[in-house]
Amino acid sequence: MLTSFEKLIFILMVAVFGGLTAWGFYQIYRIIRRGRPAARFTHVIPQTVKALLEVGLQKPMYKSRPILTTFHALIFFGFSYYILVNVNDLLEGFLPGYSTAEVSAGIIGLLNLLGDVLSIGVLVGVAAFLVRRFIAKDKRLEYNKDVLLLPGVAQGGIKRDSLIVGLFILCHVGSRFTGQALRLAEMGATNPAQPFAGALSLLLRALPPSAFAPAIHASWWIAIGLIVVFLPYFIISKHVHIMAAPLNLALAKQAERGRLDPATSPTNGQGQALPLPGAATLADLAWPRLMDAYACIMCNRCQDVCPAHNSMRPLSPSALEINKRYWLNANFNAFAGGASSPPLTEWAISPEAVWACTTCYACVRVCPVGNEPMADIIDLRRRLVNDGAELDSGVQSTLEKIGKTGNSFGQAARNRAKWAASLDFKIKDVRKEPAEFLWFVGDYASFDARVQEITRTVARVLKSAGVDFGILYEAEKNSGNDVRRVGEEGLFEQLAEQNVAAMSKCTFERVITTDPHTLNALKNEYPDYGGKWETIHYTRLLAQLIDAGKLQLQHKLSHYRVTFHDPCYLGRYNNGFNPPRALIRAAGCEFVEMPRNKENSYCCGAGGGQIWMGSTPVGERPAENRIREALAALDPSADGAGGNAKRLLFVVSCPKDVVMYSDAVKTTGNEGKIEVRDIIQLIAEAMGEGRLLTSNHKPQNAIPA
Amino acid sequence: MNIVVPIKQIPNLTDELEINGDGTGLDHDALQYVLNEFDEHAIEEAVLAKEAAGGTVTVIGVDTTGELDGALHTALAKGADKAARITGDFPRGTDSHTQAKLLANAIRSLSPDLVLTGVQAADDRDGQIGPMIAAHLGLPYVGVVTGVAVKDGKAIVHKEYAGGLMGEFEVSLPMVVGVQAAHQPPRYAPVSKVRQIAKTAKIDEIAGDEAAGAGSTVRRMFKPEAAGHAEMWEGGPEEVAEKIAALIKEKGLLKG
Repeated sequence: MLTSFEKLIFILMVAVFGGLTAWGFYQIYRIIRRGRPAARFTHVIPQTVKALLEVGLQKPMYKSRPILTTFHALIFFGFSYYILVNVNDLLEGFLPGYSTAEVSAGIIGLLNLLGDVLSIGVLVGVAAFLVRRFIAKDKRLEYNKDVLLLPGVAQGGIKRDSLIVGLFILCHVGSRFTGQALRLAEMGATNPAQPFAGALSLLLRALPPSAFAPAIHASWWIAIGLIVVFLPYFIISKHVHIMAAPLNLALAKQAERGRLDPATSPTNGQGQALPLPGAATLADLAWPRLMDAYACIMCNRCQDVCPAHNSMRPLSPSALEINKRYWLNANFNAFAGGASSPPLTEWAISPEAVWACTTCYACVRVCPVGNEPMADIIDLRRRLVNDGAELDSGVQSTLEKIGKTGNSFGQAARNRAKWAASLDFKIKDVRKEPAEFLWFVGDYASFDARVQEITRTVARVLKSAGVDFGILYEAEKNSGNDVRRVGEEGLFEQLAEQNVAAMSKCTFERVITTDPHTLNALKNEYPDYGGKWETIHYTRLLAQLIDAGKLQLQHKLSHYRVTFHDPCYLGRYNNGFNPPRALIRAAGCEFVEMPRNKENSYCCGAGGGQIWMGSTPVGERPAENRIREALAALDPSADGAGGNAKRLLFVVSCPKDVVMYSDAVKTTGNEGKIEVRDIIQLIAEAMGEGRLLTSNHKPQNAIPA
Repeated sequence: MNIVVPIKQIPNLTDELEINGDGTGLDHDALQYVLNEFDEHAIEEAVLAKEAAGGTVTVIGVDTTGELDGALHTALAKGADKAARITGDFPRGTDSHTQAKLLANAIRSLSPDLVLTGVQAADDRDGQIGPMIAAHLGLPYVGVVTGVAVKDGKAIVHKEYAGGLMGEFEVSLPMVVGVQAAHQPPRYAPVSKVRQIAKTAKIDEIAGDEAAGAGSTVRRMFKPEAAGHAEMWEGGPEEVAEKIAALIKEKGLLKG
């Protein structure tokens, strides 16, 4: 079809633009290599196969926004299929007389049919995206007003890029589709295997016969020539995600979610100066974090689920990735060549935003391209702490308290087990006698007056079920989970070493924890410090005891309608979704899920050191938002105003949640409508006093204020 | 500029304080020791002064606990340059007169331009270490200071008076300052840095001579004893309000 001259031009264009693009990709490679070494990959091949399969099914995207994802899937399937289509288009261009437009039978006919239908899918999908962005003006594409944005981003760079990409796809696919219609029109034929192009061809038959040849040439160039011209734009466009995202997913971190990467990369040990912990500039980040910037498609799904962003704080995980990308675009050759970036806190993310993160992992979990903005934030905290930057006064004083006393309450170590003094039995000192379970109680469960009664209930239930357990008494120290997540790596290591040393001297089989944060550190991070035990949350142990018939529940608590809040560090981090639900079922409560549950659970706002901070967000606090969500789900009006309405409970299984949500029930003015209960209180009540060892405890149904 | 910061460790007040068998002091062995909070401010102010005007900061203390090194390492991690430990047979709770004498003797050989120490400590509350060091060294002393700026061989110090009044003094160096608060909150010392320093830092040892003897002796130390009692009024707000009104009348607090 093409003239010799056109062929020559095309080949020259491929050489020039292709060369430019190849150079661009090489520069991106050099940019990513600037990052510090990351953990070694294992299982690369199975991980790659898995990533390709998941991308093929669009699975990572369906984690949120199902309708938009369906439009994306239309574009994705069409675009992927177009690799094949475009090969055929090249043949049509370069082989004289070759055209498949009219073929309706056999394999070519089938391919034609697919191409025709998928073309319409792409056009519909892109049109939907453009309408959403430019006409419906979806609010989710905007940022809180104090989110730090590079000027290029703030001035609408993403919009412009999206428009260019959208128009490119419309032109490329639309023109190819029109080309097929023109060919059919020229021949005066229809093709059942190209129903949509065939329909268009009926209209195009009205063209004068002399117009067909130039129009077919033009459509070929707009479809195929445009790709070649567009290729170098990929390098600076977010559209590069079509390559970077699958690669990012294939190379995504394979360790447990709850195990942070070390603060420094390993040195070769040959007299090298110890690198500073964490990150200040772009090149301090691990290289996968630089690839994140290229994989990011700027969809803001992470921001949608971010408790900090939703409470109007200046943190947007996506803005961080987008700023990184725009900075790299602006300093492309310089950074690839070894120039360093200014500190990230000056242009990528504000210090206020760095300190607003609750480390809930929702952003990482929801990201369809496998980015880990939270890892950047923790590395930034690590360096700020190392550099003696001014810390939030609450964080600083808590770290100092933990450093001095081993607990975040600044209490003397010998007060740690005071909560147990009013029990009518003595809990084993596991340092002195062996026990099946070492119960690592945790700071909040041990020291917070609002939680101690619940801690005693845990002890009573375990004792009543005949569990052989002991505690470390004053030898237990803060587990360091949140210490590590505010960036105090050194203190975390010290605590881990001290706890591991104390536990190593004891004889036990398994570890149970009350606090999910503690569970996370012991289960996922202590093995690196020699603490290799099986660690489970008490909800898992209780569910096992019920299954084994060792814990019998006498009463059915059918007068309660309850919902359950998955703590981040129990659920999303450690897959502890089922035991709490099994316990609630066993207790006979009516159970209602909140819309955001399990993997999509919404953080209470306490994690990552937030519970130690004095600052309060301007907007609705995450815990308040959650209480409102629970009330809507439980629908207090469902039973009518009758006297036998069920009591509504907000059930938690984390000592910090007890504190956070008891406050939130008060601050949202919902006292009397909903009560916060730890799951252990339900179990104790369902066991009935007869089966429970007694002690001088208060009634089960009161959370002390 | 040569800045010296004498520091002292005191019992951690979050512990429950135990009285010794004689009833004359604390049971020091049962207590955990931490750095005096005012000394934390003195270290911060010294590091800030160094950062503003240059010089070196030397932190020095009498090792009464066997654990002074931890406090010295922390000070080094916060930006102090040198650390020294005065050793000898000085038990926990060594009196301030003895500590002041030992510190003054050691500091003299360091020829300081500026000595910054905490204005007082929660253990004896006598606020004497700063003034006594100044007296031993024959240097001027200003206490209850909330900011020090050094310029041309002189220090401008801000002193806080009651009622929010501030005084500004210009004092020729060398001098001794009793720090009430640094002009910025004391910075955080990251544990990794402290641990790194603990592995590598050299702490000078200075042998202390004899105890000077306390200027005073404690005859009796005891926990607060309840005198009188509080009466709790129960009932609704109106009921309690009536009782309050009746009491005010009964005590003759209302005229007319």
